Amino acid sequence: MGRITLTNIDRAYGKVKVLHDINLDIQDGEMLVLVGPSGCGKSTLLRLLAGLDQPTSGKLEIDGRDVTRVSAADRGLAMVFQSYALYPHMTVRQNLAFGLENQRMPKAEIDTRINEATRMLEIGQYLDRRPGQLSGGQRQRVAIGRAVVRNPTAFLLDEPLSNLDAELRISTRAEISALHKRLATTMVYVTHDQVEAMTLADRIVVMRAGRIEQIGRPLDLYNEPANLFVAGFIGAPRMNLLPCKVKATAPGSVRIEGPGGLSMSIVASDANLKPGEDFTVGIRPHDMTIGMGSDGALEAQVTLVEALGPETVAHTLTADGQKLVAVLKGQQLDGSGGSIKLHFDPAMAHLFDRSGQRVPHR
Amino acid sequence: MTIGSAIGQKIGAAIVAPIGWLAAIIDAPLKLWQRATGTTGMAAFFLAPNMLIFGVFVLAPFVINFLYSTTSGNAFFLPDRSFVGAEQYQRLLECGSYLDPSTCREDLFWKAVHNTGLFVVLQVTLLIVVSMITALILNREIVGRSFWRAVFFFPVLLSPVVVGLIWRWILQRQGLLNSMLYQFGYQPTEWLTDRFWAFAAGITVSVWAHMGFFTLILLAGLQAIPRDLYEAAEMDGTRPGRVFWRITLPLLMPNLLVVIILALIRAVQIFDEVYVLTGGGPGTSTLFLTQYIYEVGFASLLRNPGLAAAASILMGAVLVVLTLVQLQVGRRNEKKGARE
Repeated sequence: MGRITLTNIDRAYGKVKVLHDINLDIQDGEMLVLVGPSGCGKSTLLRLLAGLDQPTSGKLEIDGRDVTRVSAADRGLAMVFQSYALYPHMTVRQNLAFGLENQRMPKAEIDTRINEATRMLEIGQYLDRRPGQLSGGQRQRVAIGRAVVRNPTAFLLDEPLSNLDAELRISTRAEISALHKRLATTMVYVTHDQVEAMTLADRIVVMRAGRIEQIGRPLDLYNEPANLFVAGFIGAPRMNLLPCKVKATAPGSVRIEGPGGLSMSIVASDANLKPGEDFTVGIRPHDMTIGMGSDGALEAQVTLVEALGPETVAHTLTADGQKLVAVLKGQQLDGSGGSIKLHFDPAMAHLFDRSGQRVPHR
Repeated sequence: MTIGSAIGQKIGAAIVAPIGWLAAIIDAPLKLWQRATGTTGMAAFFLAPNMLIFGVFVLAPFVINFLYSTTSGNAFFLPDRSFVGAEQYQRLLECGSYLDPSTCREDLFWKAVHNTGLFVVLQVTLLIVVSMITALILNREIVGRSFWRAVFFFPVLLSPVVVGLIWRWILQRQGLLNSMLYQFGYQPTEWLTDRFWAFAAGITVSVWAHMGFFTLILLAGLQAIPRDLYEAAEMDGTRPGRVFWRITLPLLMPNLLVVIILALIRAVQIFDEVYVLTGGGPGTSTLFLTQYIYEVGFASLLRNPGLAAAASILMGAVLVVLTLVQLQVGRRNEKKGARE
């Protein structure tokens, strides 16, 4: 079992409050990813879960047992640190065995667990080396191995891939995902990389300034971001956010005006928008195309073209200073600049009211 | 431009101008020197002042000291002294049993050696333990941490003579400590005239005087240990004692080795604060090697500079060994650091 429940968790350092009323229910066996920009409180939250820090108020339960004031060692959790935190003066074997020796586990049992973990993580040949003699990727495996041998109720992973190069990150990401499936143990994973979050998570928790902005499955967050922050954070390149105004309303739709000469009708059956009201239209770069017609078109100057082969990323700027990014299929622009007309399907647009909250309209 | 900045510029120019003139004067001969000798010659040119000072104040005294150790008599000028070869060394090393100074020809020397040996063992052990405990405490989140760090370092800034005097006022028969003990109904203790207490006082005072320096080195080492390791140990359910022995101590070992060797070197050289405190007494109970050398060479009526020089050469040999060990440890740490 590995169900973790956080109820009304607050954490303040003096007068500075870094976590605000966090409520979270992490299911047994779930891979939950905490994601958000630097300083949003995700690592603090993970440390509270680990028992390395104490909440100012609120309750933390693991499998129904109140562990709010229980020491880190007695929570049955294992943590993989961003820096790996391997003991540099010990060999890999000693690193793996250290926590088990603390529990006064029989040597035979320790050996069995180490053998299982090293086989699973393919680190058997490094057992007699010290961390200083390993590459970043190997250290990372050992750090995971140290957590695995403890057979914990849940794994806590604090940006474990952030010290790896781009290629190794991708392969290790897949390995962590496979490990999760194999162990079927709860994992709470902290990252600031939304691609990592999208690829690994069963559910994502998006955090900002110590608050949870949205919890949901990766594609739910992508398709229906709850607010402007989540809309901007989830998805790469980030969503284009256009400040618009309601020109007219009709049953089931609104006519809008926006930057780059945008003028179009959007289906808005549930939206309670009034003429003259300001709101934001969000459109993902992948939902934009180059077109000829002027209706529903955004006219913009191309400032940069990134030809990636299967797709082309066009960075553009409208006459009124609105930046737009479009990811176009194939190799559509030659990089010579010039003016283009960008179109998007109104059904793919996301609407956000003046307070930045999502307006349901589809 | 403001008047202030204009004046500032003029002052700056006035300071820089002479440097420019000096550079212009030495530029031509330097160029000639470089042409004649190449870059190696230039290195020699820039090293020359340092080498000159080293030669005059270190190398030459060392050579002269060695020459003194091969002569006898109480004349101070070398040409007035008679050459005796290794006789002074023989005199120092002639012993029935090295464990019993009274069987040695130069019993005071061996008494000083014994005292210094005992002092080194006890003082260095106590110094390391106290410095380590202090560093561990100062490394924690305690109230007024910076203040306490300054307090513990303060004695290092004092002259050894001042240290000796302060503690003499505290420990003498009618000193502060006995006055306080008397207030609480205890009889005064002969802190400086009892053999045991005088030796203990010498150790305590030198630990007090030097611990700030060693605490600082250990504290720097403690702070260099990543916090993550302690958190990982906490997650692993490691007991505090085991954290110290299995994590802190091994990771602090490079610093600790340096501290131990430096402490050994300083302890072997112990002189001034204990000399001011006890004068080497009572009897010869706090007579240490450096004091022996000083007294034999300069302070006694039958002064013997040759014998003192020979003793100092022998002591120097011990210090050279310790310094070589320190250098070796330092190099090993550097290599280890580079690997990790």
